[in-house]
Amino acid sequence: MTTATRILTVDDSPSMRALLNHALSAQGFDVAQADDGLAALDWLARNEADVVITDINMPRLDGFGLIERLREGSRHRHRSILVLTTESSDEKKARARAAGATGWIVKPFDAAKLVAAVRRVAH
Amino acid sequence: MIVQSIPPDGAIAPERVTVMQGQALVSAETGVELSTVLGSCVALCLFDPAARLGGMNHFLLAEPPRSACGARIDEAYGTYLMELLVNQMMAHGARKARLRAHLYGGANVNRTMMPIGTANAEFARGFVGREGIELVHADLGGTSARRVDFRPASGFVRCRSVEDRFAPQGLPIPRPAKAGGDVELF
Repeated sequence: MTTATRILTVDDSPSMRALLNHALSAQGFDVAQADDGLAALDWLARNEADVVITDINMPRLDGFGLIERLREGSRHRHRSILVLTTESSDEKKARARAAGATGWIVKPFDAAKLVAAVRRVAH
Repeated sequence: MIVQSIPPDGAIAPERVTVMQGQALVSAETGVELSTVLGSCVALCLFDPAARLGGMNHFLLAEPPRSACGARIDEAYGTYLMELLVNQMMAHGARKARLRAHLYGGANVNRTMMPIGTANAEFARGFVGREGIELVHADLGGTSARRVDFRPASGFVRCRSVEDRFAPQGLPIPRPAKAGGDVELF
């Protein structure tokens, strides 16, 4: 018996979370949701995820802050973290990379490309 | 953000800025009026009364890519266009919890086409509802084109029926090829 790859999606938009949930669940992934960086940290303190997909612009704790906090400790140092964002600036992409992101995806996402990326980085 | 210099007395006609399909514009200038003409297209007007800031978008969603099974229209692209407007509002000082929404358009102007206006109107209503944004007014559906004039600094909106010939062709523009959700792994 194999266990489904578990993905935590982090986005303050319920519409975006619903779209991601639909696209990823349809491909057999186990999807959990958090509405900002702090909620994601709280969830990850009690649960495991193979891949985190996070937005950048969020209240309380944004995507950059989430990545930095996850990389601070040892538990999530090697967790795959994909940034999914409306931002397209090279400066922000470089900042995400420096913070420790695994990859960068610009919205609007294409379900097939997103799923392929998740499969590549899931471990 | 639209920037415009207004004489101190403010006694001028508003500068009318047309919001084209696929655009999202935000302004806090008292002399600016955001304007658009809608057939099947839908416009979302957002206003933050505390920040005295408003914004409008204008969209008509096409059918979704083949990988998005089950949807009638490209909701991923529509959500992206809505998010662009919300993000612009927040970047200029608005807070999501204070936003008030008006929705206009979504007419089925071309009776021979599939009811693309209805599908777009349903999407817009669904987005506003899911995001928990207060919907102050909606004038959606029907068969007549509309002209919408929105003063972003005051939140005042005027919507009038206009002859269909003034509305842009009700042809949805698919998401641009460059907006294809490309993935870059580091």
